[in-house]
Amino acid sequence: MKRLGGVSAELAAVDGRKRLNMDKVMTVVCFVLLLIIVVIPIVMIIFNAFFNEGKLETQMFVEQVTDGKNLEAMWNTLKIALFATIFGTIMGVFYAWLLGRSDIPAKGLMRALFNIPYMFPPFLGAMAWDMMFNGRSGYINKMLRDLFGLTQMPININSVWGIVFVEVSYYFPFVFMQVVSALERMDPTLEESARIAGAKQRQVIWKITLPLVKPAISAGALLILTTSLAHFGVPSILGYAKGIYTLPTRIYAVIYNSGGSFDGIRQGAALSVMLVVVVALALVLQNKILSAGNYDIIKGKSMRPTLIKLRGAKIPLFLLAILTLVLIVIVPLVMIVLVSFLKAYGLPIEFKNFTFAQYEKVFTANGTIAAIRNSLFVSITAGIVCMFLGTLVAYVVQKIRPKGKGALEVISMLPYAIPGTVLSIGVILAWSGRIVGINLYNTIWIILVAYMARYLSFSMKTSSAALLQVHSSLEEAARVCGASHTESLKDITLPLIRPAMVSGFFLIFLPAMREVTTSILLYGPYTRTLGVQIYSLRDAGMIPQAAALATVAIGIIIILNTIVTKITKDRKGV
Amino acid sequence: MGDQIVLDHVTKRFTTKTLGDIVAVDDFNLRVHEGECFSFLGPSGCGKSTTLRMIAGFEDLTEGEIELCGRLVSSRKKNLYVPPEERGLGMVFQAFAVWPHMNVFENVAFPLRIQKVNKTDIERRVNEALHHTSLTGLEKAWPSDLSGGQQQRIALARAIVTNPKVMLLDEPLSNLDPKLRETMRFEIKALQRKFNFTIIFVTHDQSEAMAISDRMMVCDMGRIMQIDTPENLYNKPCNRFVHNFLGESTFINVVIQDGKAYPKGHMDQALNLSVPDDAAEEMVVATRPNEIALSGPDQDGYQTHVEKRIFLTDRTEYLVPVGDQLLKVQTPHRVTFAQGEACSVHLVEPMWYPADDAAAEKERARRQLV
Amino acid sequence: MANVRFDNITFRYGTNTVLENFSLEVESGKIVCLVGPSGCGKTTLVRALLGLIKPETGSITVGDRVLFDAKKRINVPAEKRNIGIVFQDYAVWPHMTVLENVCYPLKKQRRPKEEIRERAMRALEQVHMTEYARHLPNQLSGGQQQRVAIARALVIDSDLLVMDEPITNLDAKLREEMLLEIRMIQKRLNATILYITHDQQSALQLCDKMAIMQQDGTLCQYGTDEEIILHPANRFTFEFIGVSNFIPLEKVGNTMCLNVGEKIPFPDAVPEEAANGGYEIGVRPNDIVFDPESPLQARVDSRVFLGSEYNYFLSLGSRQIRVQQSMLDARTRGTADEGETVGIRFLNSRCYPAKKEGASA
Repeated sequence: MKRLGGVSAELAAVDGRKRLNMDKVMTVVCFVLLLIIVVIPIVMIIFNAFFNEGKLETQMFVEQVTDGKNLEAMWNTLKIALFATIFGTIMGVFYAWLLGRSDIPAKGLMRALFNIPYMFPPFLGAMAWDMMFNGRSGYINKMLRDLFGLTQMPININSVWGIVFVEVSYYFPFVFMQVVSALERMDPTLEESARIAGAKQRQVIWKITLPLVKPAISAGALLILTTSLAHFGVPSILGYAKGIYTLPTRIYAVIYNSGGSFDGIRQGAALSVMLVVVVALALVLQNKILSAGNYDIIKGKSMRPTLIKLRGAKIPLFLLAILTLVLIVIVPLVMIVLVSFLKAYGLPIEFKNFTFAQYEKVFTANGTIAAIRNSLFVSITAGIVCMFLGTLVAYVVQKIRPKGKGALEVISMLPYAIPGTVLSIGVILAWSGRIVGINLYNTIWIILVAYMARYLSFSMKTSSAALLQVHSSLEEAARVCGASHTESLKDITLPLIRPAMVSGFFLIFLPAMREVTTSILLYGPYTRTLGVQIYSLRDAGMIPQAAALATVAIGIIIILNTIVTKITKDRKGV
Repeated sequence: MGDQIVLDHVTKRFTTKTLGDIVAVDDFNLRVHEGECFSFLGPSGCGKSTTLRMIAGFEDLTEGEIELCGRLVSSRKKNLYVPPEERGLGMVFQAFAVWPHMNVFENVAFPLRIQKVNKTDIERRVNEALHHTSLTGLEKAWPSDLSGGQQQRIALARAIVTNPKVMLLDEPLSNLDPKLRETMRFEIKALQRKFNFTIIFVTHDQSEAMAISDRMMVCDMGRIMQIDTPENLYNKPCNRFVHNFLGESTFINVVIQDGKAYPKGHMDQALNLSVPDDAAEEMVVATRPNEIALSGPDQDGYQTHVEKRIFLTDRTEYLVPVGDQLLKVQTPHRVTFAQGEACSVHLVEPMWYPADDAAAEKERARRQLV
Repeated sequence: MANVRFDNITFRYGTNTVLENFSLEVESGKIVCLVGPSGCGKTTLVRALLGLIKPETGSITVGDRVLFDAKKRINVPAEKRNIGIVFQDYAVWPHMTVLENVCYPLKKQRRPKEEIRERAMRALEQVHMTEYARHLPNQLSGGQQQRVAIARALVIDSDLLVMDEPITNLDAKLREEMLLEIRMIQKRLNATILYITHDQQSALQLCDKMAIMQQDGTLCQYGTDEEIILHPANRFTFEFIGVSNFIPLEKVGNTMCLNVGEKIPFPDAVPEEAANGGYEIGVRPNDIVFDPESPLQARVDSRVFLGSEYNYFLSLGSRQIRVQQSMLDARTRGTADEGETVGIRFLNSRCYPAKKEGASA
């Protein structure tokens, strides 16, 4: 495969000096853009955490790091992430095995349904669970209390365990999807030969199947770990009011309480360094584990694996799977919709209390309409810009392969590892007038810049994978057919990676539409996003109206997702 | 010597959405003797792999019974099914199926660990198995660092370590390069001599099957065509399919008149062959390209010329017209005729088959879609 | 029509010399196969011809057109060389229909629209793909994609068509068909086809002339299939083209002997220089026959029936040799059993200098 890459460089050498210039321009553009979008904000955080007015000053940092409240937040963050990872992994592996290796009915449908929690914005889920099981006023809590004549609320979701529960429900698909596809790719004779060797079904699962999918399990588990460490939405909705802080919510609180003052932001920066250290440790762990278990199980002729007969357990397990889906998808959805029709939060859910007034407000209030418009604008713009920029970086890394391509790759992947909250602080520090007088604070542009930094790696990854698929001989064939270097790029390479670019766009556009973590620190009076608007409506106690807007948001997300699936399905594969 | 594997009226049917019912295995009756190397040979979709998987216990039967070492393991009538792990078999798969998360030693030790054999015995028996498969010294190596041939040796070592009476080999050499394939063939035979197990060898490669087997079964479209020794199968194929499938074949359609065979449509010169008594009016004469004597003009045989000469790596191929049909003749390089040169061809002991069967061809085409 | 001339081509990847002062002239209007083991530099040579890499020295001429000359600093860019090429992995552009694929080279030549269409359809006709003109490549089988690649190479009416392992990815039956097809196309167009492969078998089936390249990137024989099969120029060609046995020769007193532990007088004639030592007798397994009267006596170690032939391993002194007996021979002379001692005779043996120690196979 040594012909796979580096062809452009080879061709460039043949073409002489002229071509080299074009490649050089692309390379330089890449470095400059990444410097502006990624490097400067990150440098600003570190600089401001340790320097004040140009002088080294560690006192503030030490104060922050040793502060009891912050240490508690850190402890909570670790606890939540750890338990969410453990339970999410167990749940993901269990359902993946059930769908991949047992004779449970309706597999195709179940597999599609199990992906839904992945699309469902976790902070909306948290909202719904809060409505049901809030330790003071949860609807179902009240119902249960009255039913059994209890003196206290039976369940309190506003706790560390509540947060863990909600995170598990929406993060287990990370493990589920990885393991299901690993099971599908696995050569069934690996398991069959263990049977021949005398192992019983149960022994095969423990000694062969699970160890073989271990790389997939740990990849998914670490994804849960890093996501949970950096997650803002769920802990803020369930824990904030009760004084349960995690590092991301603590950073938000520090900045919010200081009223956006520079000192507050600096304290936030110090806490960010703490959070980044924790996440970085998790990523190092991920790299270690993944490279240790790096074996290839994708081989052998594709055969259908022998399915394990569940016999008596078949129907109960099927019902359990259905119940899980109902619990984590349908129930919260129904709750949000029901509340959105209420005249006021706290009224019993009865028909006489229903009204359309909340929806009327949603569609007439300037704030909400603007929020939808803002979200559409930043999501689409960030999607398009990242689509091209990511492809450019991917092309430079994969085909031009300049010196320092490793650095390029690392820089573009860096924001992926940095929590959204932290990135926001970096962007604030960089673009609120401190560098060459550019002040984007309180404008929509600062959100856009943050989104671009955050999502660039998504499009770069998909374009990179697509470029690797474009075999060099396709470009060479065009050259031999009489096309110049530029022409072969335009006629062959670009059209071939277009589908990947489009899916890269949607990979950015969809999460950006429901984003809250980054924008919560960046929004100004006129630049609320959809997520921020729901969050602040709820924060202001207008819960039914927040629910109505959430219903609209979920509607938009479902529609967009359907469109995307349709588009990607119709597209002819390369 | 007793019968180690007995298949009694074994049938496997399944239903596909697009093509309706398919009889994958149709009434197989088979007895494999102790210590024998027995091959299942046939094109893809002939039922050989399904039969093997039924013997291993990975597939259920639709009808019939299977007996292993005198013990009934599958029976539809008695509703009996022994799971694969209790059949006491050794098996080697095409894709090696070596567990990538265990090193060589652990792979081979696995069957013994499952049997809870004590530690010292495990060590001894694994080392012995590794010794016989020339893997000594690689105990600590990881499968992903080894070549295809070495991985297949691990699979063999893992199969022999429990000393099974019956060894099932499912296309074990297909993923190896041709040179290695030959070496491994010898090694498998040597292991068989040493451990004295019965082999069922599944392959679609006829030369491999002939080289390794004592007896073999040729099947096609879910039916057994012929069971015999390789030499008998090659020399006396029972029908045109078997003839064509084993080794290279060349055919001439002939018309019989007055006890002489003429190339179809050309009644001017007869082939000097003794026509069997029961020959129909139209027949197919089948022979092997390298069993045709090619000699100078006016010698014994059919008078014709060389239409085309093709050099192959290890022999020369001549296309020789017989009537309007082309006969393929192969000789060593040292026998040289120029293109266009006159010559005589003589078919040595050819086979006679009825003229073409269109219905069978149609059925084959249908099954190939499955 | 165009002949192709490589003159003194040298190419290095870093410090690794792939080709050194390589020269070859290919006549026009023929199918010429460039055969050699993988890694011998044949693909490098083609890439130099196409202008995808730049050699250090030498020149490349097609017809009377100089495409590359290191001394005169001529280097025609790839897109202006006008050579038809079929790659091993087809390199059919998956986002264009069959017709668009075939039209592309003409579009790049800025031909008028009607001419492009007409010529493209003609090229498709030649590979029997007209009814698939509107299909996308992923709707076609491997063989059909290969035909599209050939049509795309044909459409520019180049006098030179290069095929780089074009049939390696196809199954055996399709390979035979494609070989015939390539032959037919060459007959119709009367173009020069340079066909690159590592597979001697398909080269023999296809070519008018063969150029055999050695592992170290040197040319070891250029000739017709007959010349190469019947008169291999050196040991490499002899070994590369088929299976062979080698037995060292040694002069004992005045007689040439086979050195197989013991020394057995060799009855056939050998060239004079063999007397100086360091020579070996090469003989193909199917050029060894059983002959009870022969002074060469060997023991049968194993006999395997392979269908069209018997394959024997015999011990001749301490050497193991391989013998293939065709069924015709087995029927007329009979077979030998394992353990039996038989007389053997070499028909058609050859004498070559022995390989130097440490030289790779």
